[in-house]
Amino acid sequence: MKYTSQAVAKPYFIAAIALFLGQILFGLIMGLQYVVGDFLFPAIPFNVARMVHTNLLIVWLLFGFMGASYYLIPEESETELFSPKLAITTFWVFLAAGAITVLGYLLVPYASLAKWTGNDLLNTMGREFLEQPLPTKVGIVLVALSWLFNITMTMLKGRKTAISLILTLGMLGLAVFFLFSFYNPVNLVKDKFYWWWVVHLWVEGVWELILGAMLAFVLIKVTGVDREVIEKWLYVIITMTLVTGIIGTGHHYYWIGTPAYWQWWGSIFSALEPIPFFMMTVFAFNMVNKRRREHPNKAAVLWALGTSVVAFLGAGVWGFLHTLAPINYYAHGTQLTAAHGHLAFYGAYALVVITMISYAMPILRGRAANPERAQIMEMWSFWLMTVSMFFIALLLTGAGVVQIWLQRISTTPMSFMAVQDSISIFYWAREAAGVVFLIGLLLYIGSFFVKGESRAIE
Amino acid sequence: MSATFTKSMARNVFYGGGVFFFLLFLALTFDTMKVLPKRDNSQNITPAVAHGKKLWETNNCIGCHTLLGEGAYFAPELGNVYVRRGPDFIKAWIKGQPTGVPGRRQMPQFNLSDMDIDDLIAFLKYASEINTNKWPPNIEG
Amino acid sequence: MEAQSPFTTLIEISNYQSTTGKKNLPGDFALWIFIFAEMLVFGVLFVAYAFTRAYHVELFNESQLTLSRTSGAINTLVLITSSYFVVNGVSAIKQGLSKQCGYWLIGAFLLGGIFIIIKILEFHAKYAADISMSTNAFYMFYLSLTFFHFMHVLMGMIILAFIIFKVLNDGYSAKDYVGVETGASFWHMVDFLWIILFPLVYIIR
Repeated sequence: MKYTSQAVAKPYFIAAIALFLGQILFGLIMGLQYVVGDFLFPAIPFNVARMVHTNLLIVWLLFGFMGASYYLIPEESETELFSPKLAITTFWVFLAAGAITVLGYLLVPYASLAKWTGNDLLNTMGREFLEQPLPTKVGIVLVALSWLFNITMTMLKGRKTAISLILTLGMLGLAVFFLFSFYNPVNLVKDKFYWWWVVHLWVEGVWELILGAMLAFVLIKVTGVDREVIEKWLYVIITMTLVTGIIGTGHHYYWIGTPAYWQWWGSIFSALEPIPFFMMTVFAFNMVNKRRREHPNKAAVLWALGTSVVAFLGAGVWGFLHTLAPINYYAHGTQLTAAHGHLAFYGAYALVVITMISYAMPILRGRAANPERAQIMEMWSFWLMTVSMFFIALLLTGAGVVQIWLQRISTTPMSFMAVQDSISIFYWAREAAGVVFLIGLLLYIGSFFVKGESRAIE
Repeated sequence: MSATFTKSMARNVFYGGGVFFFLLFLALTFDTMKVLPKRDNSQNITPAVAHGKKLWETNNCIGCHTLLGEGAYFAPELGNVYVRRGPDFIKAWIKGQPTGVPGRRQMPQFNLSDMDIDDLIAFLKYASEINTNKWPPNIEG
Repeated sequence: MEAQSPFTTLIEISNYQSTTGKKNLPGDFALWIFIFAEMLVFGVLFVAYAFTRAYHVELFNESQLTLSRTSGAINTLVLITSSYFVVNGVSAIKQGLSKQCGYWLIGAFLLGGIFIIIKILEFHAKYAADISMSTNAFYMFYLSLTFFHFMHVLMGMIILAFIIFKVLNDGYSAKDYVGVETGASFWHMVDFLWIILFPLVYIIR
């Protein structure tokens, strides 16, 4: 690596992968509970497993983003990190807070956890994805601020590139919009309305800036294409993201008590949301085709291209599938939503973090790329995870379509649980795909331990 | 400036476009907040409803159920459960958990008092009277 | 790969422009991508309007009568004139006449201001009559379309203001006028959209 302080990224990356593994294990538990309802009951009820599954996802992605920025910003700014010590302290604080929170979920009844952690002072808990106790939420804000501060200070004393500006802007947005998680009015409609300011404006807004910056960074490194070209297109793509994504929030405002005009605003703008993802796919492939060097890290190139394709499929295509109001009227809150959520999160965010790890980790370990055998293993893990996630999405889509038909369209609608019973075959197959995904992930972790000859950094 | 596609212009368009659409979003939000009182049933928010919402949250009901279509997809939609099942059924159901039927999905026993359950039901009643543009399509949610 | 995707075409257009120096679009291509997106959004809105109208012809015809065609027509003239001013501004800077360019653009900016004032009066009348986006389908479209466009006019005026400031400080020249052309392109788009919007929403029955 070029700057010694980039090394602080390493623990972040390791933690990210470890928590990713935890997320998948809990995913498998839930997947089984879908078909064997009393599995692990009452030790780990479904709601607890789900909380752990989704919260671990958020936390490991945040670890990934942070690690990525601690690696990327010094190199972009051509200067050492402002405070490596602060970065390391933040790491341990975040890891400890995350671990304690997850243990809290698992060991204490949620209602008691709420009582003990001051939820009576300020009700913020018990909303999807924002289940964290108040101290954890405050902790997330502090961690984000420390991260933002460290990165901004580094950038201020060095070169300011488009990539680092966009990344920082994304982080700023992440911190700002998270503040809406502290706003929980009794009025359910307002509660839901602003809840989306965290959830949607994160994943279909500011996180995409972070995603774009990370992908652009890796593309510059592995293709050697002129920075001007890559950054120019990065700006164009994220412009389209914001143009479509901000008003696209409206696709969540169809049926929660908000005015009907959101059906038009939301449908029209979110129907255009696939465009930036499509641009990103073509952009990534174009840049790789125009490459000026053969980077020894073939695996990183595969992850990068994979990110652009699966993000387009998961976020773009699967999102479009049910975003138009007349379709969403039937699809809202079914397994179709779950299908989209899985493929989109995997494609856009899990993959971009792995792309970054796959590119940076060998360098952090003192070589330009991993040994051939390790890279082949990584590629296997890419295909196993990607194909199995694709199957998960397809199977949940199948489950969703049948569910919609039996429960909502049929002239003799069946009850929710009766429908669930009749689509259990999809859930079984999904669980099998989940096991393959786990194998893929284990292979990925295994690839770090493969020894062999590797090229040194030039 | 010989090139007609410049990074600086791309940057300007990004900042301009981003701010523009965020302002538009704020304008729509402003209008939404003005219209909401006619739709959101907030006139019926009583202390019981407020307490019911808190119970809903602190028992993490959203971890299995959906409410107005949002949440987990593991257990039935509850936005209209008040209409579908009625208060007596809901009360008996919550009290009777878990069913313990082997292999079936299980709902935990939350040890709520009678008054707590009444408040929870008040919350579900309030939620069922929000104007959701006729969603869900039918009573099964 | 991707034999001829629309995006590849975009890249080709841009490469063509930057490598050959020949231009098939005036101004900076980065803004043109934005303009394409905007036209797409408005296009979809216009089509949506037409389809919804087909289902509620009577409602649309009845509600349409409450709109002030006079102010709409005046605003059409105002915007067309402003576009003419902008055209003159661009040809002035191509000849290196910064001052003239600035004055033409100030004229266009002031006309934009007139449009805004007239539009605010229209909005106020509707607001006073307790009409909102939630009143009926027609007003939903009328207010959405005109407000969305209204914001574009404001945006266009801000862009013009920046260019006016720069051109009056001799920031552009006969050789370097891409910035002026870029702003002009945006302004013409705003004008163009209104020329479709006005007959569609105010007149066609």
